Amino acid sequence: MAPAASTARPKIVASDIGMAFGSVTAIENVSCSIGEREFVSIIGPSGCGKSTFLYLIAGFEKATSGQIAIDGRAIAGPGPDRGIVFQEFVLFPWRTVLRNVTLGLEMQKVPLDEAVEKARKWIRMTGLSGFEDAYPSTLSGGMKQRVAIARALTYEPGILLLDEPFGALDVQTKNYVIRDLQDLWVEAKKTIVMVTHSVREAVLMADRVLVFGARPSRIVADVRIDLPHPRDAADPMLKAYQDQVTSVLSAEVDKSMSVERAR
Amino acid sequence: MTYPVAAKADDMRSRFNLPLSMSVIRPVVSIGAPLLLWEAAVRLGWIDAFLFPAPSAIAATMWRQTWPDGDLLLHAGRSLYRLLAGMALAIVIGTAVGIAIGMTRWGRAIFKPIISAFMPVPTLAWTPILLLAIGIDDRTTIVVVFIAASFEVIYNIVSGVEMMSRKVFWVARSMGASPSQIFWKVILPGVTPYLITGAKLGTGYAWRALIAAEMLAASSYGLGFMIYDASEYMTMEVIYGGIALIAVLGYFIENVLLGRIEAATVEKWGIQVER
Repeated sequence: MAPAASTARPKIVASDIGMAFGSVTAIENVSCSIGEREFVSIIGPSGCGKSTFLYLIAGFEKATSGQIAIDGRAIAGPGPDRGIVFQEFVLFPWRTVLRNVTLGLEMQKVPLDEAVEKARKWIRMTGLSGFEDAYPSTLSGGMKQRVAIARALTYEPGILLLDEPFGALDVQTKNYVIRDLQDLWVEAKKTIVMVTHSVREAVLMADRVLVFGARPSRIVADVRIDLPHPRDAADPMLKAYQDQVTSVLSAEVDKSMSVERAR
Repeated sequence: MTYPVAAKADDMRSRFNLPLSMSVIRPVVSIGAPLLLWEAAVRLGWIDAFLFPAPSAIAATMWRQTWPDGDLLLHAGRSLYRLLAGMALAIVIGTAVGIAIGMTRWGRAIFKPIISAFMPVPTLAWTPILLLAIGIDDRTTIVVVFIAASFEVIYNIVSGVEMMSRKVFWVARSMGASPSQIFWKVILPGVTPYLITGAKLGTGYAWRALIAAEMLAASSYGLGFMIYDASEYMTMEVIYGGIALIAVLGYFIENVLLGRIEAATVEKWGIQVER
C-alpha cells in the first residue's frame, strides 16, 4: 500500500530499507515518509522488526540496504537531533532525577546552571517536581518513564523516538503517562515515532499508524487517524479505526504464527 | 499528579541509623568475652603463659612498643603505606585493564589469556623475582600488593562492564556524547559498584600477601617484619600484638574506609551488585 500523502514537510524519509541479521531478514523494502511534527505509531506482530526500524532511525544500527534521511541528510549514527525513550527506561542510577535530565545538555557542553534551568522546565512538565534529588532506584516505574521522557526532551531533539514506552507500566500509570505525553506532544511540537504492540495506544495517540507485516517485514498498511488532538479515549470513531488496524494486524499475526509453527 | 514512590530511601537510611549501642555492643561481646576467658585461663595457670601470654600482657607490651620507646606505629604506618600505594595502583591499572577487556576486542585478546593463566599463581611466588629485580625496598612489597589485589579488581570490572546494557551506550550516544564523555560519565560511574566489590575482595588478598611479603622481603619496618623479627627473639607478646593490629587495621580498611565509599555511592544510589 502506498503511504498516505503527508501534509507536512517530510522529516524522516526511509527508502527501500532492508535489514538482515546473519541469514535472518528482519525487514525488507520498507519505504515511508514521516512529516515534520507528525506522530507516527509503528505496530506489528512481535519479532517483526519494528523496534529494529526505530533503531535504524536512531542510528544505533546500520541498515543492510537502502537509506534513511532526516531533513534530507542520510543518517550517519546516533545524534542529539533524535531523543530516545526505551521500555526499560535505561536511566543512569548514579545520577539524581535532575542530573539524569541535565545529562544530554552536559554532553553538549552546555554550562551546568543553564542545563539545570532547562531540565527544571521539563521536570515540571512531566510532573516530576519535588523528585529532583531522588535517585532512580527510589522511583516507581511510571516516574522512571517520566524521567526518561524528560531526559529525552530536555536537549530539544526535533524527533522523539519511543520504543514501547508503556510496556513496563501498569494500566493506571500507563493511562496517566499517555495523557501527559499527548499534552507534551501538543506543547513540544516534535516529530514522534512510537513503536507499540497496542492497537489502542497507537490509534489513540498517533496521526498515522504504520502496520508492519510478518517477517521479513514490510509496511502492510498506512492508516491515517483523522481525529483532532487531544483525543477522547471513548470517541466511537477511535473504535472504528481500532477495528480497521486490528483486522490488518490479525492477518499478519496469523501469518507470523504459521511461519513459527512451520519451523 | 502524585505517584506512589517506593519507600526504599527510608529503608536505607534506617539501616545507617542502626542504634549505635547495638553496633558497638555486639562486637565488644563477641570479641571481649573470649579475651576475658583467655585472661582468666592464664591467671589461673590453665594454659602456658609463654605460648599464650595474657591479653593484658600483650596490651601492656603494645603500649610500651607504641610509646615512649617503641616502633609499633612506624611498623603499622609502613604497612599501611605499602598497602594503600599498592591498592591505588591496582585500582587504577586494574580498572583500565578491566574496561579494556570488557569493551574492546583487542583488550580481550591481549589480557584475558594472561590473566587466566596467572590468576591461580600465589602472589608470594613472585616475591623472589621481585626481590632480585627491585631489591629489599618498599617497591617490592607495593608490587606484591598490586599483584595480589589487581586480579579481583580486573575480574569485577569486567563483569561490571558486561552487565551494562548496550542501551545505556545508545542513550549516551544519542545525547551526542563523545567517546571520552562515554568513558568518564557512563562507563566509570557504571562500574563503580563493581570496582568497590573488587577493591574489597582485593584488599583482603593484598593484606595477607603484604604481611607474608614483609616477612620475606622487608629489611626493616612493617607489621610482617615486626612479627618475623619478634619470632627470632621469641617475644610472643609482640607477635600477638602484631596479629591483633593486622586484624584491627584490616577491619578498618574494609569496613570503615571502603564502607564509607560504599555508603556514599552504591548504597546511596540503591544499586545491588550481583556476584
